[in-house]
Amino acid sequence: MCGIVGYVGRREAAPLIVEGLKKLEYRGYDSFGVATIGKTLELDKHKGRISDNAQSASHLKGKVGIGHTRWATHGIPNNINAHPHLDCTGTIAIVHNGIIENYAELKRQLKARGHTFRSDTDTEVVVHLIEEEYGKKNDLLFAVQTVVPKLEGSYALLVIADNEERMIAARNASPLVIGIGDGENFAASDMTPILEHTERAMFLEDGDIATLSRGEVTIFNHGKVVNRPLELIDWSLEDVKKGGFAHFMLKEIYEQPQSFYNTICAVNPDIIPEFVHHPLTVTVVACGSSYHAGLIFKYLMEESCRIPVRLEYASEFKYYPPPIEGLVIGITQSGETADTLTALKQAKAHNCRTLAITNILGSSVSRLADATIFMRAGPEISVAATKSFVAQLAVLMQIVNNIADRKCNDMLLHAHQAIEEILLIDLTDAVAVCTLAKDIFYVGRGPFYAVALEGALKMKEISYIHAEGYAAGELKHGPFALLSSETPVIALCTPGDTYGVMISNIKEMKARGAPVIAIGSEGDSELPDIVDIFIPIPNTTPFVQVLTSLVVLQLLAYYTAVALGRDVDKPRNLAKSVTVE
Amino acid sequence: MQAVILAAGEGKRVRPLTRSRPKAMIPVANRPIIEYVIEALLKNGIRDIVVVVGYRKEQVTRFLNQLDIPIEVVVQTKQLGTAHALLCAESKISGDFLVLPGDNYIDPKSIAHIKDIPNAMLVKEHPNPSNFGVVMLEDGYVTRIIEKPEHAPSFMVSTGIYSLKKDFFSKIHGNDITDVISLMIDEGEQIQAIPAGDWQDAIFAWDLLRMNRHLLSTLLPAKEGTTSRQTIIQGAVRIGKGTTIGPNTVITGPVFIGNDCTIGPNCCIMPNTSIGSRVTIEPFTSIGNTLIMDDSMIGSHSLIKDAVLGERCTLADHTSASPVKGILEIEGCVTQSEFGAILGDNVKGGSFSLYHNCIIGNNVTIEEQGCLKSRNIPDGSMVM
Repeated sequence: MCGIVGYVGRREAAPLIVEGLKKLEYRGYDSFGVATIGKTLELDKHKGRISDNAQSASHLKGKVGIGHTRWATHGIPNNINAHPHLDCTGTIAIVHNGIIENYAELKRQLKARGHTFRSDTDTEVVVHLIEEEYGKKNDLLFAVQTVVPKLEGSYALLVIADNEERMIAARNASPLVIGIGDGENFAASDMTPILEHTERAMFLEDGDIATLSRGEVTIFNHGKVVNRPLELIDWSLEDVKKGGFAHFMLKEIYEQPQSFYNTICAVNPDIIPEFVHHPLTVTVVACGSSYHAGLIFKYLMEESCRIPVRLEYASEFKYYPPPIEGLVIGITQSGETADTLTALKQAKAHNCRTLAITNILGSSVSRLADATIFMRAGPEISVAATKSFVAQLAVLMQIVNNIADRKCNDMLLHAHQAIEEILLIDLTDAVAVCTLAKDIFYVGRGPFYAVALEGALKMKEISYIHAEGYAAGELKHGPFALLSSETPVIALCTPGDTYGVMISNIKEMKARGAPVIAIGSEGDSELPDIVDIFIPIPNTTPFVQVLTSLVVLQLLAYYTAVALGRDVDKPRNLAKSVTVE
Repeated sequence: MQAVILAAGEGKRVRPLTRSRPKAMIPVANRPIIEYVIEALLKNGIRDIVVVVGYRKEQVTRFLNQLDIPIEVVVQTKQLGTAHALLCAESKISGDFLVLPGDNYIDPKSIAHIKDIPNAMLVKEHPNPSNFGVVMLEDGYVTRIIEKPEHAPSFMVSTGIYSLKKDFFSKIHGNDITDVISLMIDEGEQIQAIPAGDWQDAIFAWDLLRMNRHLLSTLLPAKEGTTSRQTIIQGAVRIGKGTTIGPNTVITGPVFIGNDCTIGPNCCIMPNTSIGSRVTIEPFTSIGNTLIMDDSMIGSHSLIKDAVLGERCTLADHTSASPVKGILEIEGCVTQSEFGAILGDNVKGGSFSLYHNCIIGNNVTIEEQGCLKSRNIPDGSMVM
């Protein structure tokens, strides 16, 4: 996962590219670099985050340029492995997002022909291949067109060369957007760097090669000129700025009522494809937070609609016998999660109908699946998923509601109010306890088990505290041995079938000396007396309590991470979406 | 020119409406007060705006983020007074600037009068000067400011809107801007007093009704929702997207109705009423001179006059809220007032309940046939 930006136009390219790369940092941030065509080809690349090295690279001259922010896959993050990469002559520069799978073979051949390799990356083979072809005709487009068929794997490429007033873009299985400006054109991994300059965009398809000059964009596929529809992107730029919030994550947490409401309103019966109205069985494939959304969906669907739901990690799906029939739903915020894409491809190969749920218009998953439902979360920058998670739940709850004859309409339309309400909560005491902990356990039953998993995931990913979610009943089968006065337990205990047994579970945990923080319904008379810290959430339906308790856990993780001084928006070792298996 | 809007304070005297928002964010005529302030600045070509946030800062920031123009946000962590709040914005200010309270309405013309005069303040006569900083004038210059005096020597009060020079920051001692101004006057500096045109402050929650009435008086009619053919609409009435008005409903403007509301049939909406979004008003209900925030519901056969309803209130059928005179204690200050009811967020009122001159806190539940007169019910209570 990396982010790329390219510019060709009337302004100085380098400052524009640097600004664009900052917006793409969520895609990777271990090194960055920019190359421009000034009098000659100029290059500046570094290890580290572009936002920490604000002045570097901006000084490059030239009105054509490319830039890259990296999340290392081949070769450790250092100055040499940072993109852009140059050919032997230093006249061609390339940036690449994706993985060239046959690079080892290509590299051997190129070395045999006398090319010198500087880096350990897979990308460098591409630029040397282009160098060979460019030498034949001095035509960059021709060179890229000849080289691309030799590459296996995924790539979004941007290529520039000395003496060329244009930029060549190529795409296969990695995202690439072309932004059409006025006397200038852009290319980027997604819309965020482009939004400031234009709202007109074209999404490239697999196999497309585009040439971008100041006034013109031409797209080729297998040598033929093709047209891609021009789309207007209605995200405003403010959506991708932090506003006055300390972190994107907090901003996105506070945007959840709106994200949920917008999604609920947008996903009406006309949007839900016909084949989702009466499925026999449903299989959900997803990773990370999206998997937890799938788990909540499983509980709701099986209970409300009596339709069996199978849930698999997308990365493990291929090791199980695939479903022979029924509906397969893939959930991915970015629409680029490699494992989810592979799983959906596999489902398609077995003749299953596939539905994708994603936040990104024009993402790979929407091209792959039979139908796509877009959530309306807006751009999410923080690595930890928050508003996209509630928007996923909104889509999934609407699907359940639709199958269950829309009996929950009223409740879903008002659910965002409860989220708004819970944002007022004061978690100071609970944060103080979590800040001191080395391990935290999250327990719940029913759909709240999924909430516990998601709460633990949020905690570990941004605060780096070891946190695990368990189904409350499973605790006694092992993890109980870990409980002590130094392991806080966060228990989700709301009225309903599970209440009585949760209360006795909590008492057992208390007996082992573990401090218990309980999330329960307002007005509960028993729970506050037996736990150390009681966090009340409004007394509403289980659907809504799932949402509100989840928001409480997000805020708990956020404030704990802030208290510990963590980099909330860009936790170590993590990237926003995982585009490699 | 730059402007600093102070929106960090809660506005305790407007409780219970300030539980989830500071006073500056209370919607009047369906827009938060601070939006009128920003609009007045923009109309004067002042686009470099800094907002100081504090109490419920996330809610304010989220709102500011969705405006069309970029607004700088600075945080005052503890609410220690207006001068302290202003100091929080010091690093963002490069030259002469305006200071405005985020919770007072001001018209663009008044800003035009003051913006080019450094060291000036907008002043206005007010019938109850004791709640403000009372100013004494001589030849158009301020000679003295007395903060909230018991016996006011004049009716002229400070609006809290100042035009200041960058060096003001170096003079800040004490917590309030008026303290600093007093000090400057003592040191011989001249502060010009400029009469304000249209300026509105709500000291107590019921003053919001006056502000609402005032802001609705310039309402432009517009109809985006669906109205039945049997609906009678007179005067300036604005109906938002997705709103449905049932047959035989009479609406007499000025009335502002937000998006996705359901009203009627057979309702009567009288003048000076603002209704937020997603509000339901059941049949045979009459509402007048009232401010209703988002997501509330009013049951059938009700009469609501001179009332403010927070978000997510549910009033059952046959509710009556109508104005009477009474005496209430607000934040340690005993005041006389005349209004129907002030309801916080998420109030659940039972059927056949009567409200006269009472303030009901957030999350209060009132059982059937409750009768409340001149009462101030604290948050979370249950009234049996």
